[in-house]
Amino acid sequence: MAVTVLRHSPSLPRLFARAALSSGGRGGELPHRALRLLDVPVDRSNLLAYQRSCHLTGGDVLPHAYPHLLGFPLQVQLMADRSFPLPLPGLVHLENQVTVYRRLTADDRLDIRVQAADLRPHPKGATVDLLTDVEVAGERVWQGRSTYLRRGVRTPQAPPRPTGPELPDGPAAAVFRVPAGQGRAYARVSHDVNPIHLHPLTARALGFPRAIAHGMWSYARTLAILADATAGPSASHVWFARPVLLPSTVELVAGGRLDQPEGVVLGLRSAKDATVRHLTLRVTSR
Amino acid sequence: MAPSSQPRRAAVIGGNRIPFARANGTYAKAFNQDMLTAALDGLVARFGLAGESLGEVAAGAVLKHSRDFNLTRESVLGSSLAATTPAYDVQQACGTGLEATVLVANKVALRQVDSAVAGGADTASDAPIAVSEGLRETLLALNRARTAGQRAKALARIRPAHLVPDVPRNVEPRTGLSMGEHMAQTAARWAVSRLAQDELAAASHRNLAAAYERGFFDDLVTPFAGLSRDENLRPDSSVEKLARLKPVFGKGEGATMTAGNSTPLTDGASVVLLSSDEWAAERGLPVLAYVVDAQTAAVDYVTGQEGLLMAPAYALPRLLERHGMKLQDFELVEIHEAFASTVLCTLAAWESEDFCRTRLGLEAPIGELDRSRLNVNGSSLAAGHPFAATGGRIVASLAKMLHEKGTGARGLISICAAGGQGVMAILEAA
Repeated sequence: MAVTVLRHSPSLPRLFARAALSSGGRGGELPHRALRLLDVPVDRSNLLAYQRSCHLTGGDVLPHAYPHLLGFPLQVQLMADRSFPLPLPGLVHLENQVTVYRRLTADDRLDIRVQAADLRPHPKGATVDLLTDVEVAGERVWQGRSTYLRRGVRTPQAPPRPTGPELPDGPAAAVFRVPAGQGRAYARVSHDVNPIHLHPLTARALGFPRAIAHGMWSYARTLAILADATAGPSASHVWFARPVLLPSTVELVAGGRLDQPEGVVLGLRSAKDATVRHLTLRVTSR
Repeated sequence: MAPSSQPRRAAVIGGNRIPFARANGTYAKAFNQDMLTAALDGLVARFGLAGESLGEVAAGAVLKHSRDFNLTRESVLGSSLAATTPAYDVQQACGTGLEATVLVANKVALRQVDSAVAGGADTASDAPIAVSEGLRETLLALNRARTAGQRAKALARIRPAHLVPDVPRNVEPRTGLSMGEHMAQTAARWAVSRLAQDELAAASHRNLAAAYERGFFDDLVTPFAGLSRDENLRPDSSVEKLARLKPVFGKGEGATMTAGNSTPLTDGASVVLLSSDEWAAERGLPVLAYVVDAQTAAVDYVTGQEGLLMAPAYALPRLLERHGMKLQDFELVEIHEAFASTVLCTLAAWESEDFCRTRLGLEAPIGELDRSRLNVNGSSLAAGHPFAATGGRIVASLAKMLHEKGTGARGLISICAAGGQGVMAILEAA
């Protein structure tokens, strides 16, 4: 596999523009290529902005899903390239998995590696996984697997993906308002300027009735209910369902215990209609 | 340890409070400091302490302006106590008043002070309103700016939406659910009936009204701002009247909690005087009761493992074990009526064999409480509940009630608090 070491983190707005202009004529196999970014320092002001945005306590310990933010530009660079078989615009974030091997802090210098894997047919199109591996001084410390769906040529005979656990029913453990500007606010933190998050008009142009919350934000905001418990060795798997349309009020439901093998199952559902599920999340401690 | 440093008993001499007012009622424009000072001055007048330098005053407020950073000390300076009386603020949500009492009782017991006042004040009317987070950040950036350019840049960041103020909400910061919504979930889990809640609320009003009628509060309450009784008290309250109210917490068919069986937002203040036996004897002040022991507990309510207001249920077995007592040994029990359902869920938990075994680790259930010993002179449902002032109200009232019962009578106080906490204390009649 060819490994390209980048000198600096690529600019997301530029990549999005390039991907939009080169989305036609994609196809074929996954590129045998990995991107690396070495010795990445943590920007404390960005870390604090992330913690504030996701209702986490400000501090030096990296939240469970935070390294995803640092690897995401590499994911986009890989997918924006013409060699990538699926066009980037319109990719749907279906699932995400994170494994934290050890507690990371803002003093750690991260070596980040991103590659694509598992291009496979899906009843509604095709899915691909983007793998993010983070090492510190040669030690594996964090892994992420983001699964994206490209809607397109339907493959009805393709095996459906295993769905997540049942959403715990019962009363809401927490309820919170997701304001209209949430997408823009998180875009300032994540630099993910995907127009579906920014404004009702740009979202409508891409087929959404209103702007939608970033999945990775909803994920982190849901995890925040477990406070510091997921910053250390732990694993999570999130299944995204219906997007959180902005603004809206959502309810968080919880079941299970972190000290049990099955772990905790968390869910986000609409406060207006409990049958509208936004995400299901399983967290286990390692 | 030298004999002089052996712990000693902390005595409750008496208490004073101002009548509690419904939010946006008679005390709508009163500050916490006004009310706490009034409660202190009433205590000073009652016990002849004008110009005296006490060991310390510990009190607090839950809803507090940033200007009130030194609320208790400022109240002492404005009172007729000597300016040489030290003071500090305490905050443990609704547990504040009782926790302050425990703190100063411990200092008396450890001979660090000979006399002390504990208390609290709260206003839900004169609430601290903050600017929005966006405006606050901008104003702080403006404050840090050193050049005209930096100032202009900071000011340019102000948006119309920033001008909407941030009003404090009665919700748990980690869950966004109000205390009533949390309680409604616990009430549903314990299947506490609407009727049982309304009966408890009606009894609270009936008992408080009767206590006022026979003059029980004559030496516990000082009028303030034209009010001489608790504004929320409805002597003619009845189960029938309460049954007409619509539920305000919980959802659908199973919703049982109404404005009548939940405490209203209230304004008020209370204080309690504690001392050593010697200090009281020197001044010829009779001792009502002693603080025997106290226990706090907390539960993990964030992911719904336990009800927000159930912590006192966990504190009790630790207290009972330390003193070789049973719940039934207490002649009087005061369970703060945050909601009627809070009291009923706590009692149900202690009666439940399953809860006592799996959650409290007990071999047998704590058992039933004789209801004729519970909140006999009314509690928060009738009096109201200015968060930090409730502890002082209960300590002073229970000390007096125990004193009426006779030497050695023991009473239990249970107060639940935001954040999944609970404070308990045992008093014993002198």
